[in-house]
Amino acid sequence: MGEETTSLGGIHISPNAVATIAYHAVRETYGVVGLAPKNLADGIVRSITREPSRGVTVQYNGEDIDIEVHIIVEYGTRINSVARSVANTVRFHVEKALGLRVNKIDVHVAGLRVSSMD
Amino acid sequence: MADVKSARVKRLRKQKIDGQSLKRLVEAGLAWLRTNQQIVNSLNVFPVPDGDTGTNMLLTLTSAYDEIKDSGEKHFGKMAALVAKGALMGARGNSGVILSQLWRGFARGVQDRETLDVETLVKAFADARDTAYKGVVRPVEGTILTVARGIASGTESGLSSANDAIDVLETAVSSADESVRQTPELLPILKQAGVVDSGGKGLFFILEGMLRHVYGEALDKPLVSVQSLSAMNFENAMEGVEEGQDYEVVVDFFPQGELDLQKFYRRLEEMGTSIQVGEGDGMYRMHIHVPLEKRYEPIDYVMGLGTITKVAMENLLAQMDDIQKNTAQRPIKFSAVEAGQIAVVVVSPGSGLSRIFASLGAAAVVAGGQTMNPSTQDILNAFENLPTDKVIILPNNKNIIMAANQAKDVTVKKVEVVPSRTVPQGLAAMLSLQPDGELASVSEKMTKALSAVQTGEITTAVRNVEIDGVNVKQGQVIALLDGKLVVSANSIEEGCLRLLEKAEAGEKEIITLFYGQDMPHTEANRMADLVRAKFPNQEVEVQEGGQPHYQFIISIE
Repeated sequence: MGEETTSLGGIHISPNAVATIAYHAVRETYGVVGLAPKNLADGIVRSITREPSRGVTVQYNGEDIDIEVHIIVEYGTRINSVARSVANTVRFHVEKALGLRVNKIDVHVAGLRVSSMD
Repeated sequence: MADVKSARVKRLRKQKIDGQSLKRLVEAGLAWLRTNQQIVNSLNVFPVPDGDTGTNMLLTLTSAYDEIKDSGEKHFGKMAALVAKGALMGARGNSGVILSQLWRGFARGVQDRETLDVETLVKAFADARDTAYKGVVRPVEGTILTVARGIASGTESGLSSANDAIDVLETAVSSADESVRQTPELLPILKQAGVVDSGGKGLFFILEGMLRHVYGEALDKPLVSVQSLSAMNFENAMEGVEEGQDYEVVVDFFPQGELDLQKFYRRLEEMGTSIQVGEGDGMYRMHIHVPLEKRYEPIDYVMGLGTITKVAMENLLAQMDDIQKNTAQRPIKFSAVEAGQIAVVVVSPGSGLSRIFASLGAAAVVAGGQTMNPSTQDILNAFENLPTDKVIILPNNKNIIMAANQAKDVTVKKVEVVPSRTVPQGLAAMLSLQPDGELASVSEKMTKALSAVQTGEITTAVRNVEIDGVNVKQGQVIALLDGKLVVSANSIEEGCLRLLEKAEAGEKEIITLFYGQDMPHTEANRMADLVRAKFPNQEVEVQEGGQPHYQFIISIE
């Protein structure tokens, strides 16, 4: 997956490229107020490299793309509706941009942000 | 009528707005959104499987109303909190989540108010906006958020001139309307699609429904709307000619001053049916079906409204006759599927082939083929609205199989793709269709049927090439057998006959020629005669295929 051979040579799409697309899609989804690094080490590495795909992990699994996102959701929204929207939006944008099939998207709600108390 | 309305409004202006008033307003907003649900759905441009905006908003607001419908709560703020809670519990999809956040902010703005006043309402609209904007890192403008912002700022600036909450609601509706119209300027994808934002429009309908309740206007009949000229679809209007409505009248005109649409429609409804009104660059186009004796009435009426630039009148019955004579243009009749049955969606490259597929029991057709591969979305659109959840897709082209598989993955319906690589394979598979069978076993049978047929294709080479030992010059006729180039020839006749030889048609039973859109019927028949002469023991049939680029698609079985 992510590889294609044409008469001119190969095309390789790195998981990072896919992650960047997914990252932007997540940030545009309503209810998501942030992304969270998968773990501490990952957070440090990404903040040093300034990679614009924090909180998104992409893996090629044979013919399939698996995406994992870690999000922070606004307190007070319906969390599973937001998570569903995230999965839908990411799938739509990745498939539209790459024409590749996304096999699965795991959405982890890493935390909630409380902007104001009711 | 106007007096009744103003008397009602006058009375309402004097009343206190409490929790029960809010309940009635929410009910009205919900009713009006339900009435206009399909309009909102039709504005969707993002083909996300998350569902339709109108439906999502409706379900969210329904959940909100369910929360309060049996409540006798008098306190406005407490009632608003219940609405917010219900909306939150039932929030569906992106637009539903945003709607629930708007209610949450609104409820916070009015929480300690027993009744509603001007300042509180204006503040609540601002709170609704602020809360909604907090829910996203990067707000996309040109969406329901923009409309919420428009409402808040519109009512804020109208605060000084507002005497009561009804004035504020009027301002809110007009601000929402204006913001919705602005959305295509802010979001390019809307502009490309020629629509306004669906979520924003949904929010507008909710507020407008509340205002219509205040005015005492009906909430169960969709308001007439003006579409863009390009969107006017007279073909659909043609399908059913009502008894007695024999004349179609179309008038183009420039109205003098603002056109009062409601009045305009009401007057037209008295005259006839199938009313459509379109607008573009200030010019309006009115379309109506009227009885013979009333055929000049719409023209006279419009003449009083402005300057007429064009009038077209047609006798529908005569038109219908023409259509029935010309079978090629008769709308294709697809098999009706019932819930639980298997619906087959086929990709077809030509109108004739679509007709054949339909006659074999296809439920829907997606136009597409070698040179125009349909997208996953095109395929999804074809079956998402069918009333069954069992679907079989016949891609009928090797380049479309992938899109079909993707459609299978993104839908909640149970879908099997029978990987037909050619049209004849697809037709062979159709013969094994049992609509009431079990999905997996039917699709297996259909897949097995694919190998029962060989496919020949005749087309013209667009460049010089040598493949599989066959040398082809640009402009020559080439023949493909099951997708493999087998013959190059100097004429279609030669190509066809040599192809059939390669396919060992002499050993087969039936040869069917599907002729393409550029092939005259008589030519196709002449070709069939040549084939019959060469293969006297085989049954030879000719069918109109209507496909582009391929003079013939040949099925050999």
